[in-house]
Amino acid sequence: MTELLSFTMNGLVLGLIFAVVALGFTLILGVMQVINFTHGVLFAFGAYFAFSMQKYVGFWMALILAPVLVGVVGLILERLVIHRTYGGNPLFGLLLTFGLATALEEVIRMVWGKTGYSVAAPKFAAGSLDLGFMIYSKYRLLLAVLAVIIILLVWLFLEKTPYGAIIKAGASDAEMVMALGKNLPRMRSFVFVVGSILAGVAGVIAAPIWSVRPTMGTAILMPAMVIVVLGGIGSFWGSILAGLIVGLSTSISVMFWARVSDIIPFVILAIVLLFRPRGLMGEKSVLEV
Amino acid sequence: MGSGTSRKRWATGPMWAVFLLFALFPYIPFIGKYLSLGTEVLIWSLFALGFNILLGYTGLSSFGHGAFFGIGAYAAGIYFLRVAQGVWGPLLLSVVAAGVFAALIGFLVAKKRGIYFALITIAISQVFYFIAFRWDEFTGGETGLSGIDRMPIGIPGLVQIKLAAPLTYYYFVLVVFAICTLLIWRIVHSPFGKVLQAIRENEVRASYLGYRTAAYKWGAFAISGLFSGLAGGLYTLLINSAFAGVLDWTQSGNVVMMTLLGGGTVNFFGPILGAAIFIVSRDLLSAYWESWMLIYGMIFVLVIVFIPSGILGLIGGRKQTILR
Repeated sequence: MTELLSFTMNGLVLGLIFAVVALGFTLILGVMQVINFTHGVLFAFGAYFAFSMQKYVGFWMALILAPVLVGVVGLILERLVIHRTYGGNPLFGLLLTFGLATALEEVIRMVWGKTGYSVAAPKFAAGSLDLGFMIYSKYRLLLAVLAVIIILLVWLFLEKTPYGAIIKAGASDAEMVMALGKNLPRMRSFVFVVGSILAGVAGVIAAPIWSVRPTMGTAILMPAMVIVVLGGIGSFWGSILAGLIVGLSTSISVMFWARVSDIIPFVILAIVLLFRPRGLMGEKSVLEV
Repeated sequence: MGSGTSRKRWATGPMWAVFLLFALFPYIPFIGKYLSLGTEVLIWSLFALGFNILLGYTGLSSFGHGAFFGIGAYAAGIYFLRVAQGVWGPLLLSVVAAGVFAALIGFLVAKKRGIYFALITIAISQVFYFIAFRWDEFTGGETGLSGIDRMPIGIPGLVQIKLAAPLTYYYFVLVVFAICTLLIWRIVHSPFGKVLQAIRENEVRASYLGYRTAAYKWGAFAISGLFSGLAGGLYTLLINSAFAGVLDWTQSGNVVMMTLLGGGTVNFFGPILGAAIFIVSRDLLSAYWESWMLIYGMIFVLVIVFIPSGILGLIGGRKQTILR
């Protein structure tokens, strides 16, 4: 029973990380219709930047600085090449970012080496905490809290600020938004940077429970894609819900039948798509044309 | 395709030129000795030609076609190790297995469009990767399957062709490649192929003309899966093994890259040119620089941005690209 409880907790934590990564992915996909393969590498960049920084600036500063740096990388990528793919065949953006991701993963290998690192949890969050019903890793609890805060911040931003309203409008009808006098290219750059920061910050907080290695980016990309389709492309709560489902099902299936744990999310996705072709909370959109 | 110059439904001049070039390849000074590389070019050309039925002719952006290549590769290995040694059996199972899976998956995705189509094909291909990786008893897990030798073929007592020799295997693959190229040419220039092209240009209009477009897309998906699977089976026999790497999603990216690089979306022969350039340059780059993936990724980006219609698109023919 305690075992099941700890697998469930791990699944929740994993799901929250997935949710943060998927949020950035679905934001970019929803607004720009780009399947952004660089999203995984940006996640890895977050982890690597934090790993290199934490020695000098500590955990909290790295938590701010590393995602900002990832945002800058995202901005450069978007302004340099990715903006060219807007409005094209989905394959265009997908291939372009696939090439970029391949090159960037190699950059990671060149800068930080091929082997992985393990990142220590900050001292104040090392060890475990007695929750009464179970003993659980302090860092994982901190991680869960941070992830929830990030998700709430994104929600507040999208729902309660005028900029969020413009982004949501841009996702449903980009041309109309432009006709209303909004600077669409700038808005898209902004959305891409926000998405990149989300990938980066997920990388930073995940680093201590993940093994930081060059392939970590491609490893998170696949769950992110599954989550986005499962939740419904462009759906905020869909991504969160699907993130938790994927995290929990992966983690709990490890306990019962470890070898199928990788496939479980795909099975869930297939079943859901049979009954709800647009995912759990997806709505009919321009993406289907 | 769209070049409009050739309405013939059987082999044309350029096709004979391609076959002749490949037939002479082993005797070209300096490069002819790289037989295994040449065989790999043929195999990937076949894969890319098969894939192009979907991408270039139907306009469907599958990003998970590596799955069918991989299924073909494993099917050949499993048949060889578990059923019977040989050449025809493994290759037949490659085609059948990949075709069956392509038909099943095609049925699921034929009604999907655009981004959903791309995402779902990626997801499905990844399932096969995990199966290959985790189902140790059947697929050998991480280590894969090995010891898949090339047995002699022929008529017992009469002729025997020893495929174990690289040169004979090269010609064997060339013959298979030539037959498949003719078949694919025939398919895309048939009435069926014309409907596929109509779907590419305007699916709604094609459906208003009375064509059941989903059924046609399903057919294109399954047929392209058959050829991809055969390529996978040939590949297993080339490297005498099958491992999860053939199902890696980068393989799916590579075949798209080859097809686009050569100009598959504007010219029937594009995938062959793309595969040749891709395989040879990958070999050269990786021999000289450890971090060749950096160059590879950047070339990928440059091609997509600056010559989206591919190399043959620069020369002539239909200038449009399906990318924009």
